[in-house]
Amino acid sequence: MATAETGAGAPVPGGRPSNAADASGPASARAGGVPAVSMRGVTKRFVGVVANDHVDLEVAPGEVHALLGENGAGKSTLSNVLTGLYRPDEGTIRLFGQEVSFSSPRDAIAAGVAMVHQHFRLVTKFTVAENFLLGSGGAYDAKTAAQRIRELGEEYGLPVDPDANVWELSVGEQQRVEILKALDRRARILILDEPTAVLTPQEADALFATMRRMADDGRSVIFISHKLQEVMKVSDRVTTLRDGKTVGTVVTAETTSAELARQMVGRSVVFSADDTADRPEVDPDRVVLDVRGLSAEGVRPQSSPKGVDLQVHAGEIVAICGVSGNGQRELAAAIYGIRRRTAGTVAIDGVQSRQKGPRESTALGLAFIPEDRLRTGLSPSLPIHANLALKGYRRPPLSRGPFLDGRAIRARAEELVRRYGIKTPSIDTPTRVLSGGNVQKVLLAREIGSDPHILIASTPTRGLDVGAIETVRHLLMDAARAGTGVLLITEDLDEAMALAHRIVVMFEGRVVGEFPRGHYDIERIGLLMGGHTGDREGAA
Amino acid sequence: MIRLEPRLLRPKWLSVAVPVGSIVVALVLGAILITVSGNSALDTYGRILDVAFGSVQSWSDTIVAATPLLLTGLAAAAAFKMGLFNIGGQGQFVMGAIAASGVGLALPDVTGFVSIPLMIAAGMLAGGLWAAIPGFFKTRFGTNEVITTLMLNYVAANVAGYLIFGSMSFWRLTTGSGQVFPQGRPLSDEAVWPAFGGGGLEIPLGFILGCMAAACLWALYRYTRFGFEIGVVSDSPEAARYAGINVPRTGLAVMTLSGALAGLGGASDIGDIRHVLDPKGLGQTGYGYTGIVVAALARWNPLAVIPLSILLGALANAGRALQGATFPAGLVGTLQGLLLFCAVSGEFLTRYRVRVGHKRPLSAAELEAQAA
Amino acid sequence: MDRRTLLIGGLGLAALATTGCVTNKGATSAAPATAAPGATSTAAATIKAAWIYVGPINDGGWTQSHDEGRRFAEKELGSKLITTYKENVPEGPEVAQTIETLVKDGNKIIFATSFGFGEAMLAAAKKYPDVKFLHATGVWHSEQPNFGTYYGATEEAKYLAGIAAGKETKANLIGFVAPFLIPEVIRHINAFTLGAQSVNPAAKVKIVEIKSWFDPTKERQGADSLITQGVDVIVNGGDSPAPGEAAKAKNLGWVGYDSDQSANFPDIWLTAPLYRWGPYYVNQIRTALEGTWKKEDYYGNLKDGFNYLAPFGKRVDQATRDLIEAKKKEIIDGTFQIFKGPLKDNKGAERVAAGAVVSADDLQKIDWLVEGVS
Repeated sequence: MATAETGAGAPVPGGRPSNAADASGPASARAGGVPAVSMRGVTKRFVGVVANDHVDLEVAPGEVHALLGENGAGKSTLSNVLTGLYRPDEGTIRLFGQEVSFSSPRDAIAAGVAMVHQHFRLVTKFTVAENFLLGSGGAYDAKTAAQRIRELGEEYGLPVDPDANVWELSVGEQQRVEILKALDRRARILILDEPTAVLTPQEADALFATMRRMADDGRSVIFISHKLQEVMKVSDRVTTLRDGKTVGTVVTAETTSAELARQMVGRSVVFSADDTADRPEVDPDRVVLDVRGLSAEGVRPQSSPKGVDLQVHAGEIVAICGVSGNGQRELAAAIYGIRRRTAGTVAIDGVQSRQKGPRESTALGLAFIPEDRLRTGLSPSLPIHANLALKGYRRPPLSRGPFLDGRAIRARAEELVRRYGIKTPSIDTPTRVLSGGNVQKVLLAREIGSDPHILIASTPTRGLDVGAIETVRHLLMDAARAGTGVLLITEDLDEAMALAHRIVVMFEGRVVGEFPRGHYDIERIGLLMGGHTGDREGAA
Repeated sequence: MIRLEPRLLRPKWLSVAVPVGSIVVALVLGAILITVSGNSALDTYGRILDVAFGSVQSWSDTIVAATPLLLTGLAAAAAFKMGLFNIGGQGQFVMGAIAASGVGLALPDVTGFVSIPLMIAAGMLAGGLWAAIPGFFKTRFGTNEVITTLMLNYVAANVAGYLIFGSMSFWRLTTGSGQVFPQGRPLSDEAVWPAFGGGGLEIPLGFILGCMAAACLWALYRYTRFGFEIGVVSDSPEAARYAGINVPRTGLAVMTLSGALAGLGGASDIGDIRHVLDPKGLGQTGYGYTGIVVAALARWNPLAVIPLSILLGALANAGRALQGATFPAGLVGTLQGLLLFCAVSGEFLTRYRVRVGHKRPLSAAELEAQAA
Repeated sequence: MDRRTLLIGGLGLAALATTGCVTNKGATSAAPATAAPGATSTAAATIKAAWIYVGPINDGGWTQSHDEGRRFAEKELGSKLITTYKENVPEGPEVAQTIETLVKDGNKIIFATSFGFGEAMLAAAKKYPDVKFLHATGVWHSEQPNFGTYYGATEEAKYLAGIAAGKETKANLIGFVAPFLIPEVIRHINAFTLGAQSVNPAAKVKIVEIKSWFDPTKERQGADSLITQGVDVIVNGGDSPAPGEAAKAKNLGWVGYDSDQSANFPDIWLTAPLYRWGPYYVNQIRTALEGTWKKEDYYGNLKDGFNYLAPFGKRVDQATRDLIEAKKKEIIDGTFQIFKGPLKDNKGAERVAAGAVVSADDLQKIDWLVEGVS
């Protein structure tokens, strides 16, 4: 069980202890050597928005440098400038002291800058080795590619089977492939965009060890995140962005998470769901969601729900924890009715669902926030008012007979925008141009605004910044307080523990553990999520 | 070095300046071409204007030429707007013509107040069903509708050919000159569609129906639940499924609607213009394909299809008026192509910005050397 | 309308035209000009004439032969004639609009050379009584005084070409690329077959219908499919020289149609039934200029020189040439009838009794193929 304890401070194989708290920091950064990356006064404007406003960023060779900021703070724009996707309107970029000007990502790759995106750029139907070949510019044939993958994987603790098809791999393994590709291209500057969002705590720790080892090799690792704990754990220095401007760069060991949070949000953030006094009250006599023996087809065999039993009471928040791809998504879809159930029953507030699809579920009082909010939960190019009407347009007051009531739709949209504090120029704005937090607010406004009996929220805070996460969590709590049962699907254990009355762990489509509040055991839950299980376990 | 960057937002002035600009560019390029060919550019342009819009008669001819393009254009707009690539407007048009002429011939003595609405209904039904076949295969089995609709164009052309050339069908004229050369039976005067207007201007019924259809289609897409669903399905099928919209049924309905509009075009071709089923003429004109061009230029907006069908109808008529012993058909085609090309590239410029020149990026080798 | 009388009338007129149209215009002038109400009776200094073509002027066939006629007229009439043409005009509402433009441009005599233009031409004739409308291959024999039709008995030349092919074939199998199996083409196939069989009783004709008048791709494919079926002579029924290309590839004899391609295919060329449109055009325009124009439904033939055979290729020996020349004389004299019984159709049924002759009217709507065609 040693892995569970492995943190950034633990010795990594073959390396020196390199805790972020090590006051010495990376030698070169302290020695005033030539920085690997030096961005000065970088400004990037889009129509009506200054995404980066004279941003400065300096990263030393051999350093893990965190880039911290809320969504919309300009982290992505900055990394897109550094990887050649955008051309800055002002400012200079120097790599190892030499001014560069990239006209395409290809130039950046040639210059040794690589990025591991949040959404992987792999061809899922190809094997790992074939994906490796794709970007290598003909440096390998299939055999040498496999060889190289094994070598690199061994060197950096990133084991992957070169002959496996990418679609067969877990998300964590796919990420390893992306990192290996970057390493193979002799990336001297590696940017990781929110890399832990899809990982279990154990996987995340393994990744941190890899990052540290790459830094020890003299590479610069830029770690984009909004998770304060991780930043504190892994980075040497932190640069914080807010509203497109640099707030400052600090040595991690000389700061605190509270200070970083204040820098990031511009105010003190306190989210304390542990406040028992204010916790939503559960009505034990009213089961708003009753799932019995539910099975459904999965995208992969491991991800098909197999005989799931699950009850949620009015006012109760139940969290389903699991690494992505273990059937949570399919379970939610099967309950909601967009995935065919092969066995089992679903009742909503005592009424049996007859598996007629989303319309029926909606009518029964089931609201659903899907994982892919901007394409599934919302129609991205349609204006906000249309998205807010996406569930209610069939019935009065939003329509009369076959005709829409445009005035009613707009009035309701105005009201929801006000009530949920959605920040948008107007209700006619296409939904896709909103920030991640506001996109999620549109979705929540529609779903919670329909006063459902039960709300299924699939990773509702993933990819959001601290401020938006706080808002979303408050909205979920408020919904539960109003008597709605909430089924929260999350990969973030901290979130589950903060919000839920009960935590259910899923692995390979089965419920493998259940923990009531007060009996949460983070290590145990983490192990169950990782598949270390015999029988169904629970402390109840 | 020239680079293209997508525009995130489109400034308002562009949507006016670009069409005007592209027409000016087309006219200037065209003028050079005409002058080189030894003709007078000014005379040529004057003649185009005169033939297209110069007199009441020109207007009538232009509108007659625009009528089939209006209806096939609407058919394409209806389907393409939803991301359904209905290339089958031509076949649906032909099937509409077959059905409408069949009804018209079956009811020679019935008053037009009865037979004409029945012809319209038959044309729309036939076109709609013809489009529903690929629509069904698309939505049920995921068959590529580009291929199936295109194939059905050939089938429709052969059905029409068989009715007139290959058999002694109900549609075929078996007396008089029909014995000498195979041809369709002409409609009775009752079944010929009326034209409207006055002072020499003749607007075919089909054009008026087309304008009404454009308005209905526009309203359908904008003000109805069905239109809302189409909007969601075309933007994100996942979101549509999530919202409980029956995506296959919506797709099938849109295909059928698209086919019905093309079928109405075929009915109008029979009732307004030809008055006989003429497979050869139908194949030669290819209205179904030109309709796609009309709809694309209209950016799938049904209301914009009306002026664009008039424009393309005028252009086609002017083209035939221009050509002659000293003005080769090739030059006419080049001029028409130039105009369309400028329109399309103008549209491109509203979406992308062109950037010229910047510093040469460092090569990887140079960077490597720097770092070492 | 009563087509019988009109058709026969048309044929009669054709006979009249034989003397009048081409060789001796005095004959037509002799007819009282005032009898045709639509005819202009005053002579003009110049006239504008226009042609409407269904295909491109360089199609190597039908449209090209008409355009050669147009240029012949230009040459003959010099500065008195200004011509124009519209090519690639579809058969549809476009015709009416094209006619409108031509009338507006001051054209006083308009020729339209595709069957499908007929209705629009007749309608325009009613609308513009002072313009003359002439429709090739047309069957709209109307009373309209400013509307005429023109075509010819091409089956005569087809019969003569059949003799050349009958002599050429060794396999006794000839391939005919037919555009549409309509009476006109059936008539041509039958005449051609009878011609071939007159010198080679074993000769058979295989046909393929390609459903197009001018479509080089389909015509080529049709010819190729005939060749794979064993024919060793190819015959054009449509307008493009593409079947000649197919024949050339296999070094087979080729009978063209409506365009002299002997220079392009010297090794395989036999002959081709051709049309001489020029003199007809000159005659129509000249009489219009002089104010003596008179409505007629012209039907040309070998005798008046409207139909003729292209120069023979080197494959046709002197004996065959003499034979064809002799037969041509008999046809012109009227001593030989092509469609004379006994004739059986290709299913074996007797269609024409021994000694009987198919009437001109029946010939116009013939719908059966003679024995030996398949």
